[in-house]
Amino acid sequence: MKKIAFILFLCILTNCEDVIEVDTPSEAPRLIIEALLRVDRNETYIPVEVKVSKTSNFFEEIPVTSVESILITYTTMEDGIVISTGFSNLAEEVPGSGVYTPDPTFMTEQRIQTSILDDDIVFDLIINHEGRTYFGSTKYVPAVPFDNVTQGSDTLFSEDETEVIVTFTDNGERDDFYLFDFGFGNYLVTEDEFYQGQQFEFSYFYDMEFEVGSDITISLLGADEQFYNYMNQLIEQSGEQQGPFQTPVSTVRGNIFDITDLDNIDLFDNVEQPDVYPLGYFAIVEEYKQTITIQ
Amino acid sequence: MIITYLGFQEITETIELTSNQKRDFNLLEKLESLDEVLITENVERVSIRKPEMSANKLAISTIKQIPVLLGESDVIKAITLLPGVTNAGEGSSGFNVRGGAADQNLILLDEATIFNSSHLFGLFSVFNPDAIKDVKLYKGGIPSRYGGRVSSVLEIFQKEGNSKELKVNGGLGAVASRLLVEGPIVKDKAAFLVGARASYAHLFLPLFDIDNKASFYDLNTKLNYRLNDKNSIFLSGYFGRDLFSVNESFINTYGNAVGNFRWNHVFSNNLFSNLSLIYSDYFYGLELDFVGFEWESGIQNFNLKYDFKHYLSDKLQINYGVNNIYYSFNPGKIKPNSDDSGILEEQLIKKYANESAIYVDVEHDITDNLSLEYGLRVSHFIRLGQDELNVYEDNNPVIFDPFQLVYQEADPIDISTPSRGDQLASFTNLEPRVSLAYAFNDDISIKASYTRLSQYLHLLSNTSSPTPLDVWTPSGPFVKPQLLDQYALGFFKNFQNGDYTLETEIYYKDVQNRIDYIDGANLIANNAIEQVILNGKARAYGFEILLRKNTGKFKGWLAYTLSKSEQRTPGRVNVASDNGRSNLETGINFGEWYNTPYDKPHDISVFGSYEINNKWSINGNFVYQTGQPTNYPVGQFEFEGIVVPYYGLRNQERLPDYHRIDLSATLTPSKNKGRKFQSEWVFSIYNLYARKNAASINFRENEDTGRNEAVRTSIFGIVPAVTYNFKF
Repeated sequence: MKKIAFILFLCILTNCEDVIEVDTPSEAPRLIIEALLRVDRNETYIPVEVKVSKTSNFFEEIPVTSVESILITYTTMEDGIVISTGFSNLAEEVPGSGVYTPDPTFMTEQRIQTSILDDDIVFDLIINHEGRTYFGSTKYVPAVPFDNVTQGSDTLFSEDETEVIVTFTDNGERDDFYLFDFGFGNYLVTEDEFYQGQQFEFSYFYDMEFEVGSDITISLLGADEQFYNYMNQLIEQSGEQQGPFQTPVSTVRGNIFDITDLDNIDLFDNVEQPDVYPLGYFAIVEEYKQTITIQ
Repeated sequence: MIITYLGFQEITETIELTSNQKRDFNLLEKLESLDEVLITENVERVSIRKPEMSANKLAISTIKQIPVLLGESDVIKAITLLPGVTNAGEGSSGFNVRGGAADQNLILLDEATIFNSSHLFGLFSVFNPDAIKDVKLYKGGIPSRYGGRVSSVLEIFQKEGNSKELKVNGGLGAVASRLLVEGPIVKDKAAFLVGARASYAHLFLPLFDIDNKASFYDLNTKLNYRLNDKNSIFLSGYFGRDLFSVNESFINTYGNAVGNFRWNHVFSNNLFSNLSLIYSDYFYGLELDFVGFEWESGIQNFNLKYDFKHYLSDKLQINYGVNNIYYSFNPGKIKPNSDDSGILEEQLIKKYANESAIYVDVEHDITDNLSLEYGLRVSHFIRLGQDELNVYEDNNPVIFDPFQLVYQEADPIDISTPSRGDQLASFTNLEPRVSLAYAFNDDISIKASYTRLSQYLHLLSNTSSPTPLDVWTPSGPFVKPQLLDQYALGFFKNFQNGDYTLETEIYYKDVQNRIDYIDGANLIANNAIEQVILNGKARAYGFEILLRKNTGKFKGWLAYTLSKSEQRTPGRVNVASDNGRSNLETGINFGEWYNTPYDKPHDISVFGSYEINNKWSINGNFVYQTGQPTNYPVGQFEFEGIVVPYYGLRNQERLPDYHRIDLSATLTPSKNKGRKFQSEWVFSIYNLYARKNAASINFRENEDTGRNEAVRTSIFGIVPAVTYNFKF
């Protein structure tokens, strides 16, 4: 009887998943702003790079776009009082690429030095596009270095996985959120709630095997709670975390919003026009990198 | 006077009621060979004259006839063939009654609450069919002796042991084997019943190409002891566990344990009482070796019940009683699984509550044609003190960002440390229940009912069906109890001396304070769940029809439901304390009504069984349901190399319609005749035409091609199975 059970399961549980044709609805394209600035404190300048594109139907290509202007301003505060301000004008490096960096043709230096990050600074991002103004605000978030990254030999759900074992020591002085970038679009978020101040080791399993001798670079990035939540939702919505249970879907909104109509006299917020919003995020975080060679 | 009990011969006796009488009857077991004895099973027949409506009873003999997945007879799968009852398909836990959520069903096994009714993530239910006598489902018109859940009551009774002789029955199936032993301890006075069921390990072995195990087992026990003519005691218990592990690095265990001690006392010929002391516990454990942690969560409760039945006259019966339940909730305990794990041990804040109720329920025959059942339940719920409780500005744990138009968790401004005896919140609700029946004659009646129910516990789940990890949370300072009002109207008719019955009903229900979750809510290991919950509303309405053929070689039913189920969480209006301006919120889903995940406008179930001859009988069922509401992306964007679909309003699209046919054939070997050892073979085919019913459609980027795709997950194709049953 046991044998029958096995045979039965063989014939029923093959091919649980298949790709099907679905017509998905569309809406008017929205602006997407990718403004995650990854800071290496050993470098002189913050690598400012903002990428803009437009949303598309799920089964079409995502088109890059150009915008009229992008400006980052920064305000140094001390005890809640403004000490100094600065700004950085961005320009499209290669026309039509949708990638914006500090404008080298500007009269003054538009790059931002990493040394100012020691102070209490608020960064604002202002983008003008097709008569709309978009605004986002952020603060720099530090991270902690890796203790160790090694290749493991275990697998979790299938044989063709690659294990990496990551070790780092959490800062016990503060509540930390971390974003790990394992490359190839693989991300992981974690918070220190259950390992506050501890050395923490975990395994990450790539759903693929790498060629022996190839290098993989893993990044550890700082995050505040809001950015942690944002990335957590992106990872969930991208369908990367597959399980037997359907993930509740949502539109993942970032920290950039449309301020065009907010005059703060008659209109203080967008509650009456909930459909005007861009997508994307503005964050400035510290990054540590480690590269391992696959054996 | 007619006495029936399944599997036993019916006793009919005419008694002259000239004085008070007390009679004892010994039931003789029904023997298959006695073809000339006419055995009628009355339990499922609709009572035309009684005000009871929106209720369905299924005998275990019927449940066992229904063809099922892998031949494992299943109580929950059986009730989903009734009108107004659906579930989210294969591999989904729980069931939905009249558009309600799975956590709104009160599931009672010998009076004890079962918190998770599923084995193996919903493939099978936790009730061993051999140990069960019958089941009764109330979808509405719920009598006032029940409370605590707003959608339905599913009452499941375990069998009592045979007090005459030792009996054994069992079965070998494709998934699990069963064995049940019952017999006298003291002949005619005390009996026991022990039933066990266990699945074969390595059930899903071929699913992945590495080491994994999935199995379950359960144990049912019942002891009954008749002390004397006026006193009987009963002890019943259930213990079940699921075990699922992958590669020793992911180990998952969960299950229910319940026990009930019951004392039945007869005060007089017209006053009966039942005192029950019930314990129930749900446990969930998880070990993730690759992160180095262990997790345990669960819920425990102690329930004391004292119920009375008082027959004042042949036209008036009063039922009354009291009930007190103490709950202890463990939302999760995290432990390192080894010495070198960096995980710190942490107990998430345990929650405590007490729910008490007092009720009276009157069954009243006003005239020969008009009868009423009316009652009142007064329920009282206290959320007791816990170790730590967050304090929020303006008492508001969820804040609204008026620029990004999203709800966010509020930062607590303080933490209070109430003592265990403190009342963090308390609620009292009056729950009136009324139903009436007007019979035009013995075969036609109309009925109407109104039910109010309150529910103080909420299952935190934002998937379309519950998962074993889902955590229950009690009402309290931030989460209000759910309140239901249900109205139902029905028409009932017997045809051809009761060979056929027709039951039709329409209903409307309205639930206040149905919890909803903000976008991106994290429900697991969340110590401050109030930060991601808003109180919304739900409503459902529908039309149900059930046509049954009750007698003859061919029996069965046709059920159709037309219904709608929606929910809504409008924005709150807060008046700012600084400038007096009222701040509007958009609400969840912009405050619009949206389909609940269990909105299935059309639901058809057909079940039939046909006895060809003494040897063979065949059974079949057909199920059709409108596809479950789901979401398709309205677009996509890319952020740091992650392709992300994004969505519009909730639950606007649907999965493809769900339908399938199942068949089974039962062979009773002719050599059974005249011997004690009885056996049968059940051959079944689930999903006859191998329909790939979608359990979900996921939208994602294909890692290899880099192209976006829609991926349908369907759990089962065609599933044949063989089961062998025996008894002696």
